[in-house]
Amino acid sequence: MTTTLILGKRLSFKHIVPFLSGGLAFLVGGIILYAAGVDPLEAYAIIIKGSLGSSRAIADTLVKTISLLIAGLAVAVAFKCKLWNIGAEGQLYMGALGGLLVGIAVVGMIPVVSVILVLIAGIAFGAMFSLVPAVLKVKLGVSEIIVTVLLNFVALLFISYLLQGPIKAPGFLPYSPDIFPESELPILVDRTRLHAGLIVAALAAIFVHFLWKSKIGFELKSVGMNISAARYGGMNITKSILITMAISGGLAGLTGAVLLAGVQHRLIEGISPGYGFIAVIIALLGRENALGVCLVAFFFAVLLAGSESMYRTLGIPVAFAQTLQALVLVFVLIGEVFTRIHLPKKIKRVDEDKLKIHGKQIGPPAERGKVE
Amino acid sequence: MSDAGSFLLNNSNVDHSAYTPSSPSSPNPSHSLPAGTLGDLPVLSMNGITCRFNEVIANNDVHLDLFKGEIHGLLGENGAGKTTLMSVLYGLYKPEAGEIFVKGKRVDIKSPLDAIGLGIAMVHQHFLLTPSHTVTENIIVGLKSPGRSIFLRMAEAEKRILELSKRYGLKIDPKAIVGDLSVGEQQRVEIIKALYRDIDILILDEPTSMLTPVEEKALFSTLSAMVKAGLSIIFITHKLKEVIEASTRVTVLRGGKVIGTVMTAQTTETELAKLMIGRSLTHSVGHRQEEIHVGIEKSPNAKASAGLAKVLELKNVFALNNSGVQALKDLSLTVSKGEILGIAGVDGNGQSEMAEIVSGLRKIQSGQVLIDGRGITGMSPKQIREWGLAYIPEDRLNTGLILEYTIAENLILDRWYSSPYSGKIFLDKHEMRRFAEEIVTNFDVRTPSLDVQVRYLSGGNLQKIVLGRELSKEHKLLIAHNPTRGLDVGAAEYVHKQLFKQKDSGVGVLLLSLDLDEILLVSDRIAVIYAGRIMGVFDRATADVDKIGPLMGGYVAEATN
Repeated sequence: MTTTLILGKRLSFKHIVPFLSGGLAFLVGGIILYAAGVDPLEAYAIIIKGSLGSSRAIADTLVKTISLLIAGLAVAVAFKCKLWNIGAEGQLYMGALGGLLVGIAVVGMIPVVSVILVLIAGIAFGAMFSLVPAVLKVKLGVSEIIVTVLLNFVALLFISYLLQGPIKAPGFLPYSPDIFPESELPILVDRTRLHAGLIVAALAAIFVHFLWKSKIGFELKSVGMNISAARYGGMNITKSILITMAISGGLAGLTGAVLLAGVQHRLIEGISPGYGFIAVIIALLGRENALGVCLVAFFFAVLLAGSESMYRTLGIPVAFAQTLQALVLVFVLIGEVFTRIHLPKKIKRVDEDKLKIHGKQIGPPAERGKVE
Repeated sequence: MSDAGSFLLNNSNVDHSAYTPSSPSSPNPSHSLPAGTLGDLPVLSMNGITCRFNEVIANNDVHLDLFKGEIHGLLGENGAGKTTLMSVLYGLYKPEAGEIFVKGKRVDIKSPLDAIGLGIAMVHQHFLLTPSHTVTENIIVGLKSPGRSIFLRMAEAEKRILELSKRYGLKIDPKAIVGDLSVGEQQRVEIIKALYRDIDILILDEPTSMLTPVEEKALFSTLSAMVKAGLSIIFITHKLKEVIEASTRVTVLRGGKVIGTVMTAQTTETELAKLMIGRSLTHSVGHRQEEIHVGIEKSPNAKASAGLAKVLELKNVFALNNSGVQALKDLSLTVSKGEILGIAGVDGNGQSEMAEIVSGLRKIQSGQVLIDGRGITGMSPKQIREWGLAYIPEDRLNTGLILEYTIAENLILDRWYSSPYSGKIFLDKHEMRRFAEEIVTNFDVRTPSLDVQVRYLSGGNLQKIVLGRELSKEHKLLIAHNPTRGLDVGAAEYVHKQLFKQKDSGVGVLLLSLDLDEILLVSDRIAVIYAGRIMGVFDRATADVDKIGPLMGGYVAEATN
């Protein structure tokens, strides 16, 4: 071909589209609210007020952000390496279980040490659980999507079983015993529920951000993008897939341990209201990078917290938050297709003369046939 | 006038230079050639075809006439627009402008089905056959049984296939399973499949790219039998030799435009080359190898050690391919320091497996592989690279590079873990960038910026990145697998120069290439591979196509054509 393609400067178009998509999602959400007999503007005002209107509200929103952020990072790490870990929810529950086992066993430690042990146990349990699909993939070539999806049920039902018997606290409800107070994440701001999990989440985001700048991160990412090229370059495919899944599962497990040590202080069946699933959307919308996931996680927390107060004031079910999240995802995905279709027009054409690519031609290929 | 043979004798009075492809717009361009020479009306006439992808013009106002009983060569370099033009004709692309006339009637070809209905068939470069079915099943697929029968009338079909096979000299067993056939035989199946549909016009896209020289000869004689029977053939190629050998007329495309249409009998390879690449030749062919050497310093040490130490030894190597079939059978060969050993062979005879075994990407069943005296069995690809292997892989798009990465990231694909490209934990962005700048300068990579994903670069530039990475490390052995495939002349030339440089610096080079001309051009010794075995090793001085050709097809004793 006589031309070479160069990305033009007007690429910024691509960055506006997600916001336009978000706006459209709220527009359609507004229509739904209107149909339900509610003034959409009032409803949206309540969402904002209910999530950001007071220091208590902000604290609650941040508490939700913590879980969504860590879980979102968990999924984003796997997705970045093209490993489709849809099992964050199950890994989260296993992590909570790990945290619980340490939290009810370790007594008399310095609180900080005790909390860290709980969190490490959560990471370890989540990582181990995620290694099941990873090993199956590496050894037998089983799709990790199917295995991770199905293992969610295994984890939730297993926890449910444990809560009915083996680790059930005395009493009527399927609750585990409380962890010892020194294993709880301390509250950061008095008279709110904001706990030190916020620091844990920030550290997790920093970890993921720098992971991609590290040697090991480069290896993991390369294996994800192109196994054949990574193998050719001398990278260890099996090791990389196992490590990626362990990091992903470990972060999901950490989410569970943070929920346990920061919010519930005991294991219950509904310790996560589907954070591991919302995490998939967050990872996708956050474009698999740490900063993006932070922003989207906060945005989703606002929606969740706000729709709770909308339920209290207007009687609109909390499920409306999920509807809005889904709408945002759908519109952003559509928007992405839209950007892709229109991008080529933004590509500048550069003539061969300007970028003289093959300056030194010598002989045509056919002349080679004549050698001697 | 349908007899191609006598047409060749009669055409001496044709003034081909008078044919100006840009002027005609009439649906009957019989003025392009004197009436009576080729028949009055072309069977096919393409007028003013323009086809673009985004802003790249693949065909620009292209005119092409095809007469009954001619083999029309469509010549051009990679990317000249040959395949696009034929895809338009075959209903695969819709042109932006232009008209197509078949037997004088204006037609609108929207799909291959329309094309076949008009008597046009195309044999693609990569065959579209079902390997697990028989020849007959592959040929009759999609056709209705005669007389509304709900049963397949295999016997009838087989009879007709044998008839066609006999008439055109296309030897084939209708009951054979296609997967068991050689590439040449599969091509025959594709051709019979076209003939079976009673076509008038046959398009062949690079038909010789996978054939041995012997099979090539057989194909050409089949083609001439077909045109004698009244068919017309369009033959896409970038090889001048073939055009001269097989065609009656040639249309040369360059940069999407028709440069000219000439009578083959009245032109020469040199003249066609000039048309094809757009400038005249400055070198005589025989001197090319020496010429490439000019300007490259030869280190005397390298010369002295050349031919002494063995850099690569394969001893009785056995290995399976991906589908578990024996790919290498008792293969032995050696590469010495400072020499280029060329492996000639048709695709799929064990070349890929050989390269993968030496680089540690494939397990060996039995035998020994030594690089610089050290057995590499059990070593990881990383260890082998560190021990001294540089490897230009066959598939630069999927193996040699990660297209989503920048140049800098691609350059550290094999050394991301080592100093100075990274520290204890993190990659060193500054060093990576400096290295990328160095390679871009030294290897003359043309890129709009260092930060673009390499997917936006051209094939030649991608190969330069691979070369830059592989040649910038310490190595004793270089494997180059189809290093110039898909590159244009200039880029291919550059790669060959680099291979000579390597050899002169004492590196042993194992060159695996499907392009026999390339092997003959650059190798010091030539080994022929067939069905996973080395059929023979020749010194460059004693090797020629007549010796190597039959071996590539597995004919050991029958060295004559």
